[in-house]
Amino acid sequence: MGRESHKMKALSLLRSRICDPKFVFKPLHDSPDSNYSKLKFMISSSITEACNNSILLLGPRGSGKSAVLELVVGDLLVEYPDMISVIKLSGLLHSDDNCALKEVARQLCMEHQLQFSKAASFDDNSQFMVAMLKECGLAHKTIVFILDEFDQFAQDADQLLEKRVRSRFSHRKLLFLPPSTEDSKRILEQVLSLPVDSSFPHDYAVEFNRKVQDILEDRRFKETFNKYLNLDSSIKHLLRFLFCAVSCMDVQTGFLTYENFETAFSSILRQPKLECLKNCSILELYILVCMKRLEVKEQTLCNFNSIMKEYKNVHDSFQTSDYYARNVCLRAFEHLINRELICFTDSRGYGSSVEFRPVKLLISSAELHQGLKAYHSCPAILHKLMDREG
Amino acid sequence: MMRSKTSSVADYMDKEQTPKITRRTTRSLASATTLDNPVTEVTNFGPPSAANHPMVEGDPEVDKEGTPQIPRRTTRSFASAFNSDNIATKVTSIDPPTINDLLVGGDPISLDDLISAFPGRRSQIVELMRLLGPLNSPTLPLFVYGGPSTGKTSIILQLFRHLNRPLVYSSCSTCYNQRILFESILNSLFLHRKSAANGYSNAKRCDRPSDFVNFLRDALANVINNLKSNSEKLTSNKMAARGTGNMIYLVFDNFHLVREWDKSSTIVPFLFNLYDLLNMPEVGLIFISSTSPDTYYANMGYVEPVPVFFPDYTEVDLHQIFLRNQANQKLYSSFLDVVLRPFCRVTRQVDELFTAFKSLFEKYCEPLSDHSVAPSEDMKRRLFSHLKPHIGSYLNEIFKISSLPSLEVEIHKETKRKGNPKKLERSEEIEELEFHMSTCAKYLLISAFLASRNPVTLDDSLFDPTGGLNNRKRKRKTSAKAQEQKQSAEEELVTKGPGTFPLERLLAIFQCIVSVAEDPSDEEEQRNGGLGIEGGKGGLMSDVLLQLSSLCNANFIIKGGSCPIEGSTRYRSAISEGLALKVARSLKFPLSKYLYRR
Repeated sequence: MGRESHKMKALSLLRSRICDPKFVFKPLHDSPDSNYSKLKFMISSSITEACNNSILLLGPRGSGKSAVLELVVGDLLVEYPDMISVIKLSGLLHSDDNCALKEVARQLCMEHQLQFSKAASFDDNSQFMVAMLKECGLAHKTIVFILDEFDQFAQDADQLLEKRVRSRFSHRKLLFLPPSTEDSKRILEQVLSLPVDSSFPHDYAVEFNRKVQDILEDRRFKETFNKYLNLDSSIKHLLRFLFCAVSCMDVQTGFLTYENFETAFSSILRQPKLECLKNCSILELYILVCMKRLEVKEQTLCNFNSIMKEYKNVHDSFQTSDYYARNVCLRAFEHLINRELICFTDSRGYGSSVEFRPVKLLISSAELHQGLKAYHSCPAILHKLMDREG
Repeated sequence: MMRSKTSSVADYMDKEQTPKITRRTTRSLASATTLDNPVTEVTNFGPPSAANHPMVEGDPEVDKEGTPQIPRRTTRSFASAFNSDNIATKVTSIDPPTINDLLVGGDPISLDDLISAFPGRRSQIVELMRLLGPLNSPTLPLFVYGGPSTGKTSIILQLFRHLNRPLVYSSCSTCYNQRILFESILNSLFLHRKSAANGYSNAKRCDRPSDFVNFLRDALANVINNLKSNSEKLTSNKMAARGTGNMIYLVFDNFHLVREWDKSSTIVPFLFNLYDLLNMPEVGLIFISSTSPDTYYANMGYVEPVPVFFPDYTEVDLHQIFLRNQANQKLYSSFLDVVLRPFCRVTRQVDELFTAFKSLFEKYCEPLSDHSVAPSEDMKRRLFSHLKPHIGSYLNEIFKISSLPSLEVEIHKETKRKGNPKKLERSEEIEELEFHMSTCAKYLLISAFLASRNPVTLDDSLFDPTGGLNNRKRKRKTSAKAQEQKQSAEEELVTKGPGTFPLERLLAIFQCIVSVAEDPSDEEEQRNGGLGIEGGKGGLMSDVLLQLSSLCNANFIIKGGSCPIEGSTRYRSAISEGLALKVARSLKFPLSKYLYRR
């Protein structure tokens, strides 16, 4: 128990850090001109000066808007106890008026230990909300409304909101931009460094941190890391990658290695269509190649029957060994539809049976080529058929 | 009669004791008193006589007026159950669910057992274990995807059995809409089981995502507190056994079906964002899907979960999988060496290969007298040459699952073959119709098929309004070019699919065909007791329309949209030529004469 425990503990600590957004965003926003400070200043000024304020937090998904806001609110609740009441709404859940007001009433009731009735109507809830706002105003209590996924709220009142947004939030917009490469690296260091205090054996922690530094300085690591950030440099994306890497840590040695990060790269960066092609059976590949040929011949009608005709032509001209009965091919065709490599082009599902509905390919010619090349034991005839068209 | 019985009973009782007017008693009381006089049977068959009417003490036999009461009829087991204690207190004995019901249950299995139970899945199992992490370690949402029958669901469930951590499993195919999914998850988390006591209702009524999140938070908080107190008890007892931890995992199986639920809804982004919305580190989410993450398009974005891919099995893995649980490993292994490669060219899905191999293996073993012997090389070669000619035909039947048990089919086929060897081919092509349809429905079906298949312009020449096939010769000498055009046009027709027709055309063809059929075989029909269509024209129409609507419901005829010009609905036949020929044959109708052919 004793020996393993600190390595396991290290692993658990790293994982819980990654899954906790507050830990990640706090150090990033400690500087005075960061979004954290600005936000904190704005909200605290509206508390102390009792004025109304609206702020818009803008930024791509996973860039820390909710996390920073929670940090700010958490700090303010400590600084100004009993003077703030927070109501959280989400556009994902509460975009409907009824829902939204019910949620507001419910949260207000919870805050002030009042009985909430689920059967209250829309009017009851709105009256209650107005009354509570008045009361809070009299008691000098600030209510902070947090509207998450604001664009979902705004879907209905599109035009109207644009003007309102423009006028109200013109100078109170906070942009959350994805971090620069240096900042991302700093985040990595901070998340992956074990604390050099009594919670871990000193030598172990020092050695661990040293190894992490080595990895981060490694040229290969920098290359792949930059490639990864080029895809999506938001922090959540980075954390996802870190999670995979940390979970690959070998608990026997208790240290992170470069291989862990490499495995994480390959498991997150996937090419799903190519994987799908590798999973196909040879008959299914035949069907795909026949569809490609029909496309090249510019045949307007591509359905199962025309594919079967092409399949028969191929068999007759090349005498392939893979000529199967119609019902077998139909099943393979349905497998391809389930894999989402092909799809029906007509939207109504019940007009005719499977054999007559038009279909189209969902992979490009290049992907098909690549897939065939990567396919082990792919019959040479398929390569020939694909090349002949071009 | 009854009087005499009373008197005899009374006499009988007189001999033993004074007849007492027994108090009406409850079951429990009666059982307590009859404890020392076990009764096996209380019946009331036939005229009761003192001799064969066993008396039960304390029976409410005689009421105040003295008319005898017929003793309660009861069964043997019921009466014997009465005689045991505690019968009254025992209710239907399912205990309310506890927190341990959230575990997968079963005997604990080790990691090696798990890996050996799933050949070819070692790397996926290890990856999943790493991602789930040690006990009480939070995890980001996982997305497990791969083709069908690749072992995703079973591996997840067995993995949780090995890890002994609580999970809530819900399948999006059983829970086919949002509300059922939410309510089923809440039922599990609130440890609520539907029973007669609560009227088979759910724990909470939950329709909308906002309600779901609120209820979910409460339920999860309860469950996690429960788990925490359990694990504290464990550590205080200093038990060496690993506890179940403080975390709970939600598994959404068949997640790809959620996309179809409601095209405009936000259910997919909602579920993907659920982890962030809940903001509870003690909850883990796992999504299982047959399609890859890039097939989930949504208006709203979400942070993608961590993907775990389950590739299809390779041939080596399939070999190992099929060898499991086989009695004679060597024999089956040599069988697999022969069949696995050709069959894998068609499909690599385990469920499809399994059904194909079962019957094929029986065929393979035919020349062997002793199925438990390990085959030598010579034997292997013999078996292979016996099987080889059949592989092709079995390959073409690979996806067929016969509805009759195979033994009956075999016998049937044998007798058929012995009977008419010459007609073998034909009878195999056109088999008997496997289901029953009324004659009217059969004629309707044929008319629909003809209407879809033939172009409208041909109706006049084919169907003489007076009944009977118009014998005017259609074949004219046409130029080669015209013939080619006809052929390509006909091929186009076959490829494009069956055409649509309005109701009037269908009924017109129907009437022609039926009048043809009725004339020559009138006598026969009368003999057969009115198999034909009853009634005059009026009755015919109503019956026909009823039949048409049932054919539409059974998807033999598809009801399409309305024609933009006329505004009437158009229909389309959905049956294949094979089925149409079968139906026509059962009616002795010369379908081929009416088909539009070159």
